[in-house]
Amino acid sequence: MTAHASTLAEYQRKTAANRLGLWLFILSDAFVFGGLYVSRFYLLGTGSRPEVNQLVGLAVTSILLLSSFFMNRAESAMAHGDRKTFLNGTLITLILGSLFLIGVVGVEWQIAPFGPGDGVAASLFYAMTGFHAFHVLSGVIFLAVVYSNGRRGRYSAERHWAVEACAVYWHFVDVVWIFFYPALYLIGSAAI
Amino acid sequence: MEGQNDVKMEEKKKEAFRVGFGVLILLAVLTMGEFWLGSVASAWWAPLILIAIMKAFLVVRDYMHLPRLLAGEEAHE
Repeated sequence: MTAHASTLAEYQRKTAANRLGLWLFILSDAFVFGGLYVSRFYLLGTGSRPEVNQLVGLAVTSILLLSSFFMNRAESAMAHGDRKTFLNGTLITLILGSLFLIGVVGVEWQIAPFGPGDGVAASLFYAMTGFHAFHVLSGVIFLAVVYSNGRRGRYSAERHWAVEACAVYWHFVDVVWIFFYPALYLIGSAAI
Repeated sequence: MEGQNDVKMEEKKKEAFRVGFGVLILLAVLTMGEFWLGSVASAWWAPLILIAIMKAFLVVRDYMHLPRLLAGEEAHE
């Protein structure tokens, strides 16, 4: 085995361990989101929900799903040595992630006819969207770091663990919203 | 030999892109479906949660590549 092949094998071994660690982190984080999700149904039941703007909800959901598509495209491109598509995909994901944050925090929170202190449903809405938005913000920062490193040529088809980790984290944030969207926007009729 | 590898790599990349696009289409259709269901029958919480589970399954399997974790060290794409 050549020195290069041996180093690459070592890198792949470490990546497998990192991958397991990342998934364990995601699992632990999922329990926190799971707690919020269960609280929503425990406290509000299935008959009521906060009075939120349906179009904003659909728009931010579509933006986040689209961002996941571009993140997947970026990661696949890097895995096959296509640096240009990787950089474009990462940048688009970053922009869409920022738009999602603006949609939730800058629009939905501002137009909502209730504040965080206006009862259980209101508190729950701000807790769920706020905690999720904080994760999106972390993801956007992560994306910016990966994009910056990618521009400097720090990743290759064989070595791009950071890209994979960023993608998995981003998709996790998307999965959380996939469950939060019907819970906050669709199930039950507007109660507050 | 290297040229052949490049062609193979390109084909694999295109296949990965195709899968990604297919998942996006499915996610879009399911999202439209749940939006419609939410507006006409918001009391039907079970189908709405079922749609969410289907969407999450697609993302976890095809975008997060969960099988890669289970496959071991070398797995990629």
